[in-house]
Amino acid sequence: MNRKMRGRGMASSWYGIARTATIDRAGAWAELDDGGTAKIVTGVTEIGEGILTVLAQVAAEELGVRPEDVTIGDNDTSRSPEAAHAGATRQTYMIGNSVALASRDARAKLFAEIADHWDVPVDSLRAFNGELWAQDTNLRMSMDEAVKTCKGRGVVPVGSASFTAHGTGLDPVDGSGSPWQAYVFGTQIAEVEVDTWTGEVQVLGIWAAHDVGRAINPRGVEGQIEGGVVQGLGQALMEDYQTEKGYTTTHGFAKYILPTSLDIPQINCVIVEDPDPLSPLQAKGIGEPALVPTAPAIMNAIYDAIGVRIKSLPATPEKILDALRNHVPGREQIAQSARQDRAEAHRRGL
Amino acid sequence: MPKIDLTMDVNGRKVVKQSEPHKRLLDFLREDLNLTGTKEGCGAGECGTCSVFVDGKLVKSCLMPAAKADGAKIETIEGLARPGSLTPVQQAFHKTGASQCGYCIPGMVMAATSALRENPDAGIEEIKERLGGNICRCTGYTKIFEAVEIARDVIAGRLPETALDEDATGESFIGANVRRLDAPSKVSGRLKYAADMKMVDMLQMQVLRAPMPHARIVSIDTSEAEAMEGVACVITSADVPGTDGFGVFVHDQPVMARGKVRHFGEAVAAVAAEDLITARRALAKIKVEYEELPGVYAPEDALVDGAPVIHDYAQDNVIKHIPIRKGDIAKGFAEADLILEDEFRTQQVEHAYLEPEAGIAYVDHDDVVTVLSPSQNITHHRHMLAEILALPINKVRFIMSPVGGGFGGKEDMIYQGMLALAAMKTHRPVQLNFTREESLVASAKRHPSRVRYKMGLKWSGEITAIEFDMLSDGGAYGMSSEGVMRKAAILSCGPYEVHNLKVDTKVVYTNNTPSGAFRTFGGMQAQFATESMMDMAAEALDMDPFELRRINMMRIGSRTHTQQELTTASLDRVLDAAEEASRWEAGAPKVRGPRRNDLGGPDTRKPCTLGARIGEPTDTQTKDERVAS
Ligand code: FES
Ligand code: FES
Repeated sequence: MNRKMRGRGMASSWYGIARTATIDRAGAWAELDDGGTAKIVTGVTEIGEGILTVLAQVAAEELGVRPEDVTIGDNDTSRSPEAAHAGATRQTYMIGNSVALASRDARAKLFAEIADHWDVPVDSLRAFNGELWAQDTNLRMSMDEAVKTCKGRGVVPVGSASFTAHGTGLDPVDGSGSPWQAYVFGTQIAEVEVDTWTGEVQVLGIWAAHDVGRAINPRGVEGQIEGGVVQGLGQALMEDYQTEKGYTTTHGFAKYILPTSLDIPQINCVIVEDPDPLSPLQAKGIGEPALVPTAPAIMNAIYDAIGVRIKSLPATPEKILDALRNHVPGREQIAQSARQDRAEAHRRGL
Repeated sequence: MPKIDLTMDVNGRKVVKQSEPHKRLLDFLREDLNLTGTKEGCGAGECGTCSVFVDGKLVKSCLMPAAKADGAKIETIEGLARPGSLTPVQQAFHKTGASQCGYCIPGMVMAATSALRENPDAGIEEIKERLGGNICRCTGYTKIFEAVEIARDVIAGRLPETALDEDATGESFIGANVRRLDAPSKVSGRLKYAADMKMVDMLQMQVLRAPMPHARIVSIDTSEAEAMEGVACVITSADVPGTDGFGVFVHDQPVMARGKVRHFGEAVAAVAAEDLITARRALAKIKVEYEELPGVYAPEDALVDGAPVIHDYAQDNVIKHIPIRKGDIAKGFAEADLILEDEFRTQQVEHAYLEPEAGIAYVDHDDVVTVLSPSQNITHHRHMLAEILALPINKVRFIMSPVGGGFGGKEDMIYQGMLALAAMKTHRPVQLNFTREESLVASAKRHPSRVRYKMGLKWSGEITAIEFDMLSDGGAYGMSSEGVMRKAAILSCGPYEVHNLKVDTKVVYTNNTPSGAFRTFGGMQAQFATESMMDMAAEALDMDPFELRRINMMRIGSRTHTQQELTTASLDRVLDAAEEASRWEAGAPKVRGPRRNDLGGPDTRKPCTLGARIGEPTDTQTKDERVAS
């Protein structure tokens, strides 16, 4: 065997969007504000995934303003409607849709006034990027003017909405139920190099294809995939929180090893869009699903490279060396062909 | 304590201050100068969030005594650009989406700036090496590399300055790469996380933690600590006015240990004092008498007859068992041509968000108990805290501060109750900032798991039956365990339509560090086992792994493991996309690495040996150029 061996492996995955086996809900308020700006109030703030930017894009699209004109309130149980927790790959799906619906509600108030003001049918009105116009006419004004006109007629264009995802609980005996209304699927391929002298595994490439429903911000989706892959890689190869009879022995980052810039494969993201038919935005989610297939893809790649299968994570250099030491080349194959022969014989009734 | 005089040039201004001799440069910048862009992620030189320039050299300010920086020229993240403007490195981070939670980002920007100052022509390999001392838990580093490469080329004039501008938007903001609205505040260090905030008259809290994993608390004597000058209050479980218990599913965890401790590092008492040092000293004066109890440290042991009981309500130590049944596995296995059996294990994993837990509580002018913290679920925390404090729900207010990484680890209310109690007792704002060591012992982890797997298949590749049995270590408290088991069970057998299956997931109490919510919530542990089995099956069947998955994949109309009929399903498209993008060479997974022809393409990186990169001939091609060439 050469010292450095390479191989590839793949793994697929699936995941449910929003809270599990229960009904999920989120609320939001929207207001078209002076100067053609907008206020969105909903109970979330950033945990890093980019949700505030996604919500600003959604609100801007629905209200006809620009993302940078949208002010989003922070998550506060006494000042904003309930949006519940920042997790479960539910932010874009639950809060994104509730912001879309609340924005539509506010826009409808504004459009009703402007349609009356211009004497055109409401459904001829369009708004985008700070401008409002009536289709097939020369009628056009800025959102700044539109809000002024609306308020001049005595109406503040505000809206609110609640979005629901209909999951059901599981039967306590056979587990049957419909835990989510939206599912996503993913597949990743890993390419690795294993140093058979040191047991060290380097992941050189990852190809990650994930269905996200609809990518609101493709760069943000890539960021979630890249981050998920690297957490998966950490769990696959190095991270291990250990206790000894209940006492923590990995007290700090000197003992608890995390992936650094030197461990990062080239990550090639492929975004697949299979729109969700049950929600206005048609987007699903990516936060958690991105991590699922990484570790098995890497283990399958290690097997492809050196013929040893690591069934207990993480695949540390010690474990790889140990497995190589006990490794009989081709043993798995021999066992399998024997199994195949036996089954064949059994079928022929011997 | 005698003070020392310090004189420094900080961000181009002369600073003369008296400070305490024990302070690190990091403390001096954050506490004395309010330059909170420099973060403390670990306090041990391991993470790089505290990176600053000292006399032009990149330094981890948590490792440098402030006194040693006396007379030096210091540059922090706040000093890189004039207020309201950003350097090319910062603009590039903004453009590429290189900041997510942002907690590592000031340090990362400093390290990137240093790399390009040291070598303006640094190639990507050298850039990676120079960023090697800075951990980012969110981004997977990829967008950071891209940002540094763009900044390098703009600074060197190889790219026009417009390369730093936002991508143009077409007809819609949906599907557009709108730049992150929060990025400017993160790349400039302006965003205030909970530990960066100060309130007038604020006390500092410190927590006394259990020195052993399982023990009865015989007595707690706080009198000496309470009598100390500068101590405002000491709290224990005796101060809880309402129903003491929190948890995502079962409320089995008291705000502080009540009667017994169940894991090493569990909170037992807390002190709020005028300053951190006094609070720490006071902890040493709290006398707790423990009677050690036999413990359970492996999930298998928790299920043994006569095993020590960890929670009275669960005499069998079982937190939750989720069964799923579909079809008839006896029939399914009888139809199989091939039966594979194996066992898989996953370890306990730490979230390692760069921002350790932190928070502030105060009682406002309307008697509303207010807790500001990077909590991932303020809605639920409010409900639980109202019960614990025996207050109407509108007298409890939770504010979610910017979260410096969560990944599920900040869904548990492990410290907000203590803050609220101290604020109510003192009617002063109280702040608690965890150290990294505290965060590691006290916060939940990813559930370690053991899966016993049995899979039956036909020669055609069709899966006829699966038996899946998972046992997980929930640790000392229930936290999210129930939900994690549910999700693990629902997703267990992967994205395949299996007509006959028997799935059991079970989680038990032990005296280990609790397990809780962690990105994928049980989904990864379960599917690690399934996807390993799928490849082993593909090998046994002499079949390409994509083919085996296509034969079994869920489609529109398929029934999931919980018998839900799917109205959409995209695995076919996803498999095609991945296969094509990776230029996958078809074949059975029979250790064909040595013979493959699809390795080492332009969409992979080069393998590396540590230290070999600096001084390599410069390769300033960007990722896209490399792929294109
Ligand atoms: S390296 Fe200084 S805080 Fe982590
Ligand atoms: S963005 Fe780097 S740690 Fe969160």
